[in-house]
Amino acid sequence: MDYFSHSWLPYIYLYGVGGIFFFSGVYLVWKTGAIDLSQPHHRTWMKVFFIGYAWFMIVHGIFTILALQL
Amino acid sequence: METFHNIGTSTDWVVMVMYFLAIMLFGTYFGRYTKNTSDFFFGGRRFSWWLITMSIVATGVGSHSFVKYSAKGFEHGFSSSMTYLNDWFFIPFFMFGWLPIIVYSKVRSIPEYFEKRFNPSARFLATILLLFYMIGYIGIGFLTLGKAVIPLLPESFYIFGSLIEITLMRAIVVIAIITGAYITFGGQTAVIFTDLLQGFILLFAGFLLFVLGISYIGGGQEFWDLLPLSWKLPLADFNKPSSFNFVGIFWQDAVAGSIGFLFMNQGLLMRFMACKSVNEGRKAATINILFVLPLSAIVVGNAGWLGKAMSVMDPTIVSPNTSPDEIFVVVASIVTSPGIFGFIMAALTAALMSTVDTLINATAAIFVNDVYRPIMKYLKKVYANDKQKDKEELFAARISSMAITVAGVLSVLAFIQFPTVYEAHGYFHSTLTPPLVVAIFMGVFWKRFTPAGVITTFLGGVVLMILGARFPEVFISPFDHGIEMNPNRPYSYIRALYNLIACVGVGVFVTMTTSFQNSIVSIIKKNKNSNTIMMVLSIITSVIFLLVIIGSSPFQFIFPIFIIVLIPIIITYYGNYDEELSTKGLTVYSINEAKQAFKGSELNEKYGEKVEVKLEVSNHNEDEIMFSKNDLLLLGAEVGDLVYLSDKRKWLGGLKSIHSRFGKSHNKDGIVYLNKDQIENGLFENDKILIAEKEM
Repeated sequence: MDYFSHSWLPYIYLYGVGGIFFFSGVYLVWKTGAIDLSQPHHRTWMKVFFIGYAWFMIVHGIFTILALQL
Repeated sequence: METFHNIGTSTDWVVMVMYFLAIMLFGTYFGRYTKNTSDFFFGGRRFSWWLITMSIVATGVGSHSFVKYSAKGFEHGFSSSMTYLNDWFFIPFFMFGWLPIIVYSKVRSIPEYFEKRFNPSARFLATILLLFYMIGYIGIGFLTLGKAVIPLLPESFYIFGSLIEITLMRAIVVIAIITGAYITFGGQTAVIFTDLLQGFILLFAGFLLFVLGISYIGGGQEFWDLLPLSWKLPLADFNKPSSFNFVGIFWQDAVAGSIGFLFMNQGLLMRFMACKSVNEGRKAATINILFVLPLSAIVVGNAGWLGKAMSVMDPTIVSPNTSPDEIFVVVASIVTSPGIFGFIMAALTAALMSTVDTLINATAAIFVNDVYRPIMKYLKKVYANDKQKDKEELFAARISSMAITVAGVLSVLAFIQFPTVYEAHGYFHSTLTPPLVVAIFMGVFWKRFTPAGVITTFLGGVVLMILGARFPEVFISPFDHGIEMNPNRPYSYIRALYNLIACVGVGVFVTMTTSFQNSIVSIIKKNKNSNTIMMVLSIITSVIFLLVIIGSSPFQFIFPIFIIVLIPIIITYYGNYDEELSTKGLTVYSINEAKQAFKGSELNEKYGEKVEVKLEVSNHNEDEIMFSKNDLLLLGAEVGDLVYLSDKRKWLGGLKSIHSRFGKSHNKDGIVYLNKDQIENGLFENDKILIAEKEM
């Protein structure tokens, strides 16, 4: 049985369309100066944004691979 | 579908009653820290991130409930966790946009933001929509509580010789009375501390159930092997079935729900506003979304996953036909022993009560701030002093908490027709959040967004949403991503996409055509009968709006055009909007101005360190506290900067603390001078060491 529509298709949609919202948000708060990268703790927050995005991508990716392979 | 009654033993009931009494005593104890409306609603803006993070667990887990995620876990597997793992996309908008704006602009409710950013009419409409949303949310909470408790109760019982049947609504009424008790007399501090305790208990109870269940099945490998492949996948099928599909839930939950959760949930916002600073609020949000929500996904869904594995292992233990909303109770009763089952059920129901309590408290805050105060202002009510004003507002808050509880119970009637709580909640979110979510979002992130734009987004958006609900095959199907339409409950989730597009479309169209509206208004103003013309246009628009709501006119398809064209003209004619003034400190483009306005003077961004001090009593009257010159240098502070002073004991989480300003310096290092009011408000003890830090 083909599980693409139950595994990688929603995954691509989630991090593709969700990513558009996420990266627009990062760009907007940077462009407007709401996040000021000259301040050390704001730089930390910027890193946290990307780590958080990667964290959820990895969690969903690993579970999808485990379900399909094991 | 198989339903259950009388699950559990008398030992379980004893444990449950004891648990509830303990929680209520705990809440009542912290209720004594409520001295004014600021404490009642916001807990005095004093708490540490970890305390708020844990107190959010009970709210988040409660609202997203064991009942509904266990149901979806049973029906569809690990994809029940989707909702808990999709809140990160809007976090940059929240942490560096909305959160600093609501804290620094000192708004006490979301509608108040609309008045500051737009005008009083926008506030009025936002209040109505938000009250609907919050009361509906309370109704969902009560429905879930009722469904959790019914399997434990008998079908009927005798009292004074009469047979009383236990129905879902009757159970909900009794629950509502118990739930309303401590919120009415406790306030936000009581809720935060009760939720803190329950957050820990809830995570423990959820994992305990998971471990016992895995052991009952025979181990982790057996559990994994018993689940069909599609139950193991973390995301649902893209577009089927109509009752649970990925793309619908993405738009309903990851987009509308996440923005609603972060931007519109007054209960949650009040938790973040109870943090001692904006940065502390950011930490609470981050830890909650990155770590606590994924753990919560396991806590709330595992009973459903275990139930599925058991039903595959032996259908006589758990029937595949078990009512999904009852699977949590059924699995918990199978894998636990008497007493433990009572403890788990108590933890579940108490968590749900926490959610409802938070929502009732938040809705009361909206009522006092956006209904009571404006009415008192209109009636020109005069108070003898601030204390009397605060006392009367606190009384209004407590009475409104009770009225809101009753309204929440009544709203259950709107959701009772859905087969599962999950669908009811999904439908509710898809329908009620889009206009407010779009209005807040565009107000914060689009400086050009006008009052005409926001009011037309509310009214025009609602009109288009009503038409969408009435004719889903015409309006919603172009966005359905291939989801089959269920005629009984058409497009429960994907309707969120249509509703969002409708509201965004209206807002953008109206704002982009501002110059056109200005030209029309200037032409009308030149006419000597301009007031009469506008009066007639207003009446026509109101009639059209009513006709769409009633739905009796054959022309209802073209009515939205009139509304979207006429409302902006009416708002522009009667309104007086200065973009520069109205957006100052209220959009993402002017956070620093908001910060300055909050402080009341130039910002001092110099870095300093925390300083340990001992308090001494002074008899000054100003709201400022005095440090030595050397301590000010260490703190990186100047006279007039904002300071946060708290008890050194970190485990108190900021319960004993105050915010103030640095006053003029003295020469006694390690000593801070406070007056009696400050010591009382900060709940400080004379012999304890305090920690001072510059807020900004």
